[in-house]
Amino acid sequence: MADYREAPLATRPKTLDPNEYFNLSPDYRRAEAERAALRAGLKRQYQLQLNNPHRKELIEDPALNRWVYARANPYNHFKATKKTSLLGALFGVAPLFILYYVFKTDRVRSFNWMCAGLWVC
Amino acid sequence: MDRHQCQEMAGVGFQRWVRTLSKGKISGISGLLPACRSASGVSKDMLPGKYNIRVEDYKPIADNGEGYGDYPQLPDRSQQDRDPAYQWDHPDLRRNWNEPMHWDFDMFIRNRVDTSPTVVPWSTMCKQLFGFVGFMLFMFYLGDKFPAYQPVGPKQFPYNNLHLERGGSPDVEPEEVKNYEI
Repeated sequence: MADYREAPLATRPKTLDPNEYFNLSPDYRRAEAERAALRAGLKRQYQLQLNNPHRKELIEDPALNRWVYARANPYNHFKATKKTSLLGALFGVAPLFILYYVFKTDRVRSFNWMCAGLWVC
Repeated sequence: MDRHQCQEMAGVGFQRWVRTLSKGKISGISGLLPACRSASGVSKDMLPGKYNIRVEDYKPIADNGEGYGDYPQLPDRSQQDRDPAYQWDHPDLRRNWNEPMHWDFDMFIRNRVDTSPTVVPWSTMCKQLFGFVGFMLFMFYLGDKFPAYQPVGPKQFPYNNLHLERGGSPDVEPEEVKNYEI
């Protein structure tokens, strides 16, 4: 699989990542070690809480709380830029006018057909 | 192990949390929640601690007014892409406790969008799918243009071409219709 090519929705597997085999610099290794240390710290916290025999409540996940808060409050950081204005107009304003026009035209045409006796159901 | 030892949270994350609260002017729970990029008192180097990422790894999502705040940009990889053999805290989500979640986490769960490496290259898959569908569409179009069926003639009816059923009077003698040839 030396000719494996990535795509937008297909990542490169870790076993084919050249960094794993050729990147032996101390900086890269230190970075990986730091990440592993962070992970180990979080694991330790979780295990302590999980195996605590005196714990009566649910274990709260701060990262989950942060994520939920962030997803629920985007309008606090909303700014009217070109992109956001365009999206707002495209999804909020244009459908109103387009759908009104489409429904009105269709209704009027079918009503005229029915009056003229051309409408066959 | 007594109660005090169990309740001690001397992990790296807890120390960072304490440092964050003591340095900044933010109080309580709001110091932990995602905030505006230019939030008062919160300096740039405290944000990675809040989110449990390395300082070098922290990069906020590109600000174009869409309301991301200072939430970090994590790699766009689905949960299906993660190691199935590692012992995750939440095995079905393939996630550890207190691990920073991607903004689109609910999109990247294993039931939904999957970014894991494909067995066959993307271009091959596209060619096979669209080639097959295009070929079938073309053949159906040809079949519609040039129909091929058994030779047929007009339908033949008994009783003098159904003289009575078609409303002919029983008194009038219908003309003899011969639909066969012996």
